[in-house]
Amino acid sequence: MSDFDLEFRNVTKTFGDVRAVDDATFQVRRGEFLSLLGPSGCGKTTSLRMIAGFERPTSGEIFLDGRPVGATPPYRRNVNTVFQHYALFPHKTVLDNVAFGLRMKRRPPAQIAERVDRMLALVELPGVGRRFPHQLSGGQQQRVALARALINEPTVLLLDEPLGALDLKVRRRMQQELKRIHREVGVTFVYVTHDQEEALTMSDRIAVMNHGRIEQLDTPSGIYERPATRFVAGFIGLTNLLRGVVEARHDRDVVVRLASGARLRAETADGAVPGAEVDVAIRPEKIQMTAVRPAAADNCLEGHVTNFVYQGAATEYQVTLADSPEVRVIVQNIGETWRAAVVPVGTRVYLCWSRGAGLILSDAAEAPQRDPEDDEAAAERVAWR
Amino acid sequence: MAIEGAAARPALPTGAVRSARQDLLALLNRWGWVKVLLFLMPACLLLMVYLVIPIVMLIVMSFYRSTLFGVVPDFSWNNYLHFLRNPMFPNLLLRSIRLAVTVTAISLLVSYPFAYFLARGTRRFRTTLLILVMVPFWTSYLIRTMSWLPILGIKGLVNYSLMTLQLVESPVEAFLFNQFSVVLTLIHIYLPYMVVPIYLSLDRLDGRLLEAASDLGATPLRTFWHVTLPLSLPGVVGGIVMVFIAAFGAYVTPKLLGGSSGIMFGNVLADQYSGTFNWPFGAVLALIMIAVVLGLLVVASRFARLDAVFGARA
Repeated sequence: MSDFDLEFRNVTKTFGDVRAVDDATFQVRRGEFLSLLGPSGCGKTTSLRMIAGFERPTSGEIFLDGRPVGATPPYRRNVNTVFQHYALFPHKTVLDNVAFGLRMKRRPPAQIAERVDRMLALVELPGVGRRFPHQLSGGQQQRVALARALINEPTVLLLDEPLGALDLKVRRRMQQELKRIHREVGVTFVYVTHDQEEALTMSDRIAVMNHGRIEQLDTPSGIYERPATRFVAGFIGLTNLLRGVVEARHDRDVVVRLASGARLRAETADGAVPGAEVDVAIRPEKIQMTAVRPAAADNCLEGHVTNFVYQGAATEYQVTLADSPEVRVIVQNIGETWRAAVVPVGTRVYLCWSRGAGLILSDAAEAPQRDPEDDEAAAERVAWR
Repeated sequence: MAIEGAAARPALPTGAVRSARQDLLALLNRWGWVKVLLFLMPACLLLMVYLVIPIVMLIVMSFYRSTLFGVVPDFSWNNYLHFLRNPMFPNLLLRSIRLAVTVTAISLLVSYPFAYFLARGTRRFRTTLLILVMVPFWTSYLIRTMSWLPILGIKGLVNYSLMTLQLVESPVEAFLFNQFSVVLTLIHIYLPYMVVPIYLSLDRLDGRLLEAASDLGATPLRTFWHVTLPLSLPGVVGGIVMVFIAAFGAYVTPKLLGGSSGIMFGNVLADQYSGTFNWPFGAVLALIMIAVVLGLLVVASRFARLDAVFGARA
């Protein structure tokens, strides 16, 4: 027995001259909830289909429960899939849909009936067994699909954007449900999604994919707080990137000089050497916006408010710095209620943050970008500089 | 990118089943009586002129009396009794049904694998093969029938080949003018009626359902049995109905290629109109034929009712 339910070793999949999955290596621990997150076309669905056995890697090897699966066909893998559009059998009742896997294994009917009942109870759908899939709502169909997959007690449960077709409200509830079911059954989940929020809230770990490569595999907070590449920084949440040149470095502390001459201090883990062009990444909510320059601050830049979006709990400001780059700042509306809640456009402000809040993204850590223009979903989210 | 796009086909139809009655009521609500009547008028007229009125005329005619001086209006069951008293007619009916069943069964066995290959096996040759299936439709029925004479005849292609290869001493006569040639020709003529509906139902089949079955542990054979076959049943039933009806009513092909065994129910029926001019008895035979076909449709609709269960599948 292996500690890992699932392992990719140098897995590459090409379709023609497109590298859908490019040299992916990672392990998934037993009982873990791993999300494959990325824009459409990043290779996450192809990865899932390779685990299920619908596609075979061009090179490299996938291990399930410690054993290489090679050319094992889908019907001999102890892996089950919850498909994007459920793929329930329209001519079978809910009961027959859920029982399908066990019938294929020729289990005794009494045992099948008992486990179907248990599964329908687990997904909180008792009493719909005699209905047909088209008589159920989208959320209910989703639960049936889940029961149909889980009843086989798979080593790994694959979920291919299972909530994509549901409306927001049902989606939120199903996210909670999925987490509960994951806790109850303890099966390893591999969850494909393009929704960063979904990945952040549900996963134990997230693998962020782009152009077939895994850019970063880390816990949700690790991905958010310490993005490894510009792509990750831009794809998950909002990030301000300020371009500059490394001026000096002491251990982890780095001083970066911006084009305007302003100096920023930040921390880095990788080899940003003096003279290298880098980006300082800073999340909008980590910036303090003040009207007067504080006496002591690691970093402080002067600018003026050019726009703001009032969001209730917080306000998102657009601040233009002296040397023209714009920075987004999110300010929690924690002030007293009788005060003006927002800072008006045109106000001169200072943006300050501690050295630990900023992160250095150097070109060295960057994955080579192929045809980035076809990647509109990512482009939309990439922070402006 | 094409890789993921393949997985993003539209969702399965999930709409509730609607009855024809509900559809009509919804239409009335939207359009109002006048427009609905206006739109339905041509169809209703056609049905009246070509279906309802002729059948009423047949029923009326079936009670008339045929005399030397022509058809005389009457109300007598004699024509029906004539059918029952003379064993030749029920036997002929059974023969026609047997022929139709044979043709339908063999067509089905030939068509299903072929349609399966068309829908799920090949991409490159799909259009070409479909056109080849359809080509006979554009050829006259008679030519399609007659074309078998130079193939199966004593000096025909098959015998010539067998003789040249010295597989037989003298020409084989068993190829033509018997049940065999009739069945073969009818299959040739009506095969498209079987292939096309099965092809359409298989083509419509959502490939993700097959993946789901495989994912749940079904071998390819069991996937076929549990998913592909049941979901293609509407096409199969459609094909069976169409080929059966066509083969059941066939009388030109049996007459031309059937030899001494070439008399079918349809021949006798046609004879009542064009030969013996016994129209009232012809009407009885025609009504019996219609009854058999209606019976088949009732049985078929039991299977087709599955269609409603499948949801709003076209």
